Amino acid sequence: MKDNFRQSMKWFHTWVGLIVGWILFFMFLTGTLGYFYQEITRWMEPERPFIEHNITNEQLLDTAQAYLNKHAQGIDGWDIYLPNVRDQNLRVGWRHPAEPGKKRGQYKIKVLDIDSGDKVASRATGGGRLLYRMHYRLHYLSTDISYWIVGFCSMLMLLAVITGVVIHKKIFSDFFTFRAKKGLPGWLDIHNVLSVIALPFHFMITYSGLLFFLFTYMALSTYLQTNDDEYREMRKEIYPRTAHLEKANQPAEMLDVSVLYQQTKTAWQDDDLSYVEMYATNDINAQVLFVRHETDITYNPADEVMINAVTGEVIAQQAKEYTGAGMIHNGFFSLHEGQFSGPLARWIYFFTGLIGTAMIASGLILWTTKRKPQQMKKSNGPDFGYRLVEQLNIGTIVGLPIAIAMYFYANRLLPLDMAERAAWEAHVMFISWAILLIYPAFRPGAKAWSEQLTLAALVYLALPLVNALTTDKHLGNSLPQQDWNFAGFDLTFLVVGGCFAFAAYKVKVLQASKRSSKQSGKQRVRQSKPPVLAASESLLSLQQVNKEKC
Amino acid sequence: MLVLTSLCFTAMVLFCLAMTKHREQVIVHEVSILAVHFFRPLAWLLLSFTAYLSVDMYGWSIGPALLFGALTIAILLLTLLLTYRAKIVPKLAIVMSLIAIISIFIS
Amino acid sequence: MSYLFTKFNLASPRWPVFSRILAATFGGYALATASSLFISQLLLNVVGKYQAIHIGLMLTFIVYACAAMWVFSVESASKAWMGLIKLTIFFTITTWLLMQFTGANS
Repeated sequence: MKDNFRQSMKWFHTWVGLIVGWILFFMFLTGTLGYFYQEITRWMEPERPFIEHNITNEQLLDTAQAYLNKHAQGIDGWDIYLPNVRDQNLRVGWRHPAEPGKKRGQYKIKVLDIDSGDKVASRATGGGRLLYRMHYRLHYLSTDISYWIVGFCSMLMLLAVITGVVIHKKIFSDFFTFRAKKGLPGWLDIHNVLSVIALPFHFMITYSGLLFFLFTYMALSTYLQTNDDEYREMRKEIYPRTAHLEKANQPAEMLDVSVLYQQTKTAWQDDDLSYVEMYATNDINAQVLFVRHETDITYNPADEVMINAVTGEVIAQQAKEYTGAGMIHNGFFSLHEGQFSGPLARWIYFFTGLIGTAMIASGLILWTTKRKPQQMKKSNGPDFGYRLVEQLNIGTIVGLPIAIAMYFYANRLLPLDMAERAAWEAHVMFISWAILLIYPAFRPGAKAWSEQLTLAALVYLALPLVNALTTDKHLGNSLPQQDWNFAGFDLTFLVVGGCFAFAAYKVKVLQASKRSSKQSGKQRVRQSKPPVLAASESLLSLQQVNKEKC
Repeated sequence: MLVLTSLCFTAMVLFCLAMTKHREQVIVHEVSILAVHFFRPLAWLLLSFTAYLSVDMYGWSIGPALLFGALTIAILLLTLLLTYRAKIVPKLAIVMSLIAIISIFIS
Repeated sequence: MSYLFTKFNLASPRWPVFSRILAATFGGYALATASSLFISQLLLNVVGKYQAIHIGLMLTFIVYACAAMWVFSVESASKAWMGLIKLTIFFTITTWLLMQFTGANS
């Protein structure tokens, strides 16, 4: 393309990053929120009680089993999820029998109130799951189409990561270099720093994202090499499952799960039970699988204990066997999802995800900053393409965070008995995003940045207030109760709102100084800081503040 | 995790000190050339120790993942400090490594 | 008619870029698929059939990425096309030869 390899890769990096940059921004931001999807779900069901302290696992298991015996008779498999750092409520779940014409029945989770032993009636919401599913299931599109779009974008992201490494001239000698300069060099440094410091993460998240749909994307190769049976067999080898007994259709009395739980104490020293799966319940073949919190990235047989629920004997399980390639494959999945991480590591995942999001944003802004001086000289104004990119940048980089806040607003403000309530939460989010995408078309660039940043600040700062007016899970209650899930949400909203307010203030100051310098006739246009730089500073400071929190 | 992050930070500071342009940012007075030659090997040594520690604490699978997370945070912190508060970097590195050493011995 | 000719000016620099995009997307995909067949045949007797296929598939994204980068780095679009086609044919023939050798029937 260009004279030398590095030059052509530079060209390639620019365009590969630009054409799907906004979808990638959407994927990275919603995916990053996914690291807290359980926490988000709990926040979006404010009817749930605060944490109950000093309750033993045995009591919890008794409560859960009593509820399941009462309400889930005739269902073959029960699951009990114990309260943990991520979700402090006791939950039970089971899969309903499949409706005719469907492969699998619906899986329902019920949150239990420990005092009454009954379920908590909470509002209809998509919760964190719906939000994080958007990053690979693009909500309104059909499954197949979204997987292919996501795959295409991920492939371009992978290319952008690799070409980015190729074109970075001094990756080691400029390792720590960040010059807080204005304009183009400043943006370039921001983009470089954000890319380099989390490079392993960027590569891992992109490559593992592609691996999730390996057989869909590489369907041709799979089809050429395997028939249906072989394909099924191969999948079994890659994703091995623990075997369990089928129902014998002979009713039998199960022992209490809390009693069976004592059996695990010889294997596990700590009381670190994560969840319990029960198969063939109230049958002679009934089995209970106790699973503690993960201690390995893929699978550690020592984390599971299977017990016969009728006799109380520990059943020696055959450990799942992974092939070498399967180990790598599943290892990448675990790294992508970060399920194994504790609270601190989860925050680090979250910030690294934000770094990725900010990297994409800075790359997009870099594109316009680079072309701005040339475009502004044109007699009939900037090109359509330039204006489109600028508009999409404003509408996505600031607009999407506002739209996500609207998702939370919808959760608190939509009428509780509304039909299709959960779906409307998402509709509200996408309608707001659409408005914010169109709005910058009618405003000059700098104005649109400052107005949307101000709006973002207001929206986030007001969220705790709305939470206080509509629920009893506000800071005044959550802090004394030390429920860091509910409290952490309100505090995070305040921090994010503060960052947006800071960015909006910076933009205002810059515009004012620009105007006054124009009036005084001084040619200092190049020195004035573009509003976008302030926006990125706010992103950086957001990460910094969040980091201090953990 | 905090131990890993602070050790990574100290290692990165050593790398930084081995580079002339950053050393001038951080330290006012001259450093003997002999000492400078030791910074980089020392940094690699510390980084290898941190890698060993992460594997020792969290196992072969989770350990390296957390190590990279800690590295990201450490470099981000260092980069921002170099730009805005370069002078406190050596002090902070000493304090952080002390905290790390103490917590290693406690646990 | 002449308007159309000027509109779709074949000498315009846009056409080679468009051609390269097609080469990277579809040619790259074909090459990646061929490479996965080749790798799985190569490893067939070392790690077993399913794992061999699996490894071949996992490496396709890397092959695909390299192919796309290569397409955009060579001097001309026709050279890019030729390179991709040659390499794809090479992989296919080698795979076929390997299949004769290993006696696999996939």
